[in-house]
Amino acid sequence: MKDFFKKLPEQAVRVVVVFLVLAVVVFVIRQFIIPPEMKEPALQRASSEEREAAKEIHYAGAQSCVQCHDKEPEIKKSGYHRDLACESCHGAAQKHVDNPTDVKPTSPKKRDYCAYCHKYNFSRPTGFPQINPDMHNPRKPCISCHNPHNPKPPTTPRSCNACHAQIERAKAASYHALITCTVCHTAPEKHKISPRTVIPTKPDKREFCGKCHDKASPRKGVPTVDMATHGEKYVCWQCHYPHTLGGI
Amino acid sequence: METAQNFMELSKQVVGFIYPNEIDIQWSILIVVYPYITGLVAGAFILASLVKVFNVKELQPTYRLAMLTALAFMLIAPLPLQLHLGRPERSYEMFMTPNLTSAMAMFGFVYLWYLMLVLLLEIYFEYRRDMIVWSSESTGLKKWVLKILSLFSTDISEKAVAFDKKTVKIITIIGIPSAFLLHGYVGFIFGSIKANPWWSSVMMPVVFLFSAIVSGIAMVMLLYMIIKPLLGGKIDMKCLDKVASFLFYAVIVDFSIEVLDFIHRLYESEESIKILSQLVTTKLFISLVVLQILMGMLLPLAVMAVIKVFKLQEEVRKLLYFVCGLLIQLGIFSTRWNVVIGGQLFSKSFRGLTTYKMELMGMEGFLVALALLILPFVILSILIKLLPPWKKEELAGS
Repeated sequence: MKDFFKKLPEQAVRVVVVFLVLAVVVFVIRQFIIPPEMKEPALQRASSEEREAAKEIHYAGAQSCVQCHDKEPEIKKSGYHRDLACESCHGAAQKHVDNPTDVKPTSPKKRDYCAYCHKYNFSRPTGFPQINPDMHNPRKPCISCHNPHNPKPPTTPRSCNACHAQIERAKAASYHALITCTVCHTAPEKHKISPRTVIPTKPDKREFCGKCHDKASPRKGVPTVDMATHGEKYVCWQCHYPHTLGGI
Repeated sequence: METAQNFMELSKQVVGFIYPNEIDIQWSILIVVYPYITGLVAGAFILASLVKVFNVKELQPTYRLAMLTALAFMLIAPLPLQLHLGRPERSYEMFMTPNLTSAMAMFGFVYLWYLMLVLLLEIYFEYRRDMIVWSSESTGLKKWVLKILSLFSTDISEKAVAFDKKTVKIITIIGIPSAFLLHGYVGFIFGSIKANPWWSSVMMPVVFLFSAIVSGIAMVMLLYMIIKPLLGGKIDMKCLDKVASFLFYAVIVDFSIEVLDFIHRLYESEESIKILSQLVTTKLFISLVVLQILMGMLLPLAVMAVIKVFKLQEEVRKLLYFVCGLLIQLGIFSTRWNVVIGGQLFSKSFRGLTTYKMELMGMEGFLVALALLILPFVILSILIKLLPPWKKEELAGS
């Protein structure tokens, strides 16, 4: 070996030395600075598991809730919120599990919390219960009508204005104020449960309005037209909006 | 907020149907600069190898300049990638924990091999004798820098210098496949992306390689024409004609390969052909048809053909060579742009196109890209100060 270096010209020896020094530097960095888990995939996996396991636990999981609470999970089991975890609304509850008396989980009571899921948004699936918070019983907390553990309203909405408040208010100031919704619309019972899949009817024949508004109608004090010539092939509400003041 | 605004603005310029994650493109101008710079390195080195391996004596005056140019651009080559990825201080880990199955990680090793075992070694052996002489002549900081660069070597005997010459030749022979590997790799990384019909082609490494040779030779030619007169020398017309003639052949080969690739795509006429032809005729029309093909390739080819056919005067030749060099640089930069940006402008659904809006400021912006393109010239000027490519007697004699 010594002879080999002696035979090499001095500049080549210098270059070899530089490369040897670099090789030693790389070796030292790899051996002593780079942590072992960066070099060995098995170790890397183990260390990431360790790191994850060391993190503080925030969520207790639904199983922990049912160990102490009987009533609410029982109600929730058959309701529409059955697939929703308790902690989705009540927040992370591990601290409550550790210390049930001093730490209490939160329970959202304001309207805006329910609106996260139930505010009308056209990208939500058809049939998913959605409301416009400004129209749907404004200022009234959701939980005054809906039990969040079984959110179906306890009684089916008595009148249409529970959901269609805006139309109801407009109609109240129109000539049709005294006509109830069901005179013109037939709402199947299921509409109250699945409002977007089961839709009420609208008058689909001109003769329906003609019962009051045809020239031949016996009703007094109502504007009438000759249905034979007026509007031809159109259904009346295609031009006259029946819920507003003048109806036009 | 700014991102959302930018997104909304871009979404208005979308043509046809495009998936939401394709609207804003991910590989920006920095990724355009990267293959452009690496291409210059490989090209400049190939020019240098013509002198040492293929004994083209006329090109001797450009040899050292070509080596220094390759080194200056090589030092900046990984910077655009590091700035694009972020956390450049972690890049050394790539060498410490090698991932042998990742093509991108292998670039680190190709780069290291080329920088350490080809460029630096060759420049060391080429300049060693001169560095010893210059350090003995100079004083102060320069003396010590040269001493360190020569690794404190002192032997300038004939035997030692002969050894240097022999080593340089061997390194250049190793360097040619290495230079091919360096830029072929850049083409490989694009060519191997199966999901992208604009990139996925076995021709890609070859196309990249030849465009690299074209851009490198043109860059050294430009630098030779600028720097030599600046240092007080005279342009060697024999050398310049020879460089230009190599450039001419390189452009012809590059053009033929690109045309071959184009015809091949047309004949194959895969399902992507419609969207690609829409891409070429709309969004890439200026950068591909006008800048890359007409101005960057056909025009310089025509001009150089005219120079070859008609015996023009020296001054006219110089001017035309210079213009050709500039046009070729513009054309090759457009080539990189068309590959990198073009490949991201169409939807994988093949039904729509998006637009690239370049930032001005910011890490991925125009100013950073410009700085990265200027930086190699700053490094080159320092290298030339320290290691002059032409000796005083050469400058005076020519």
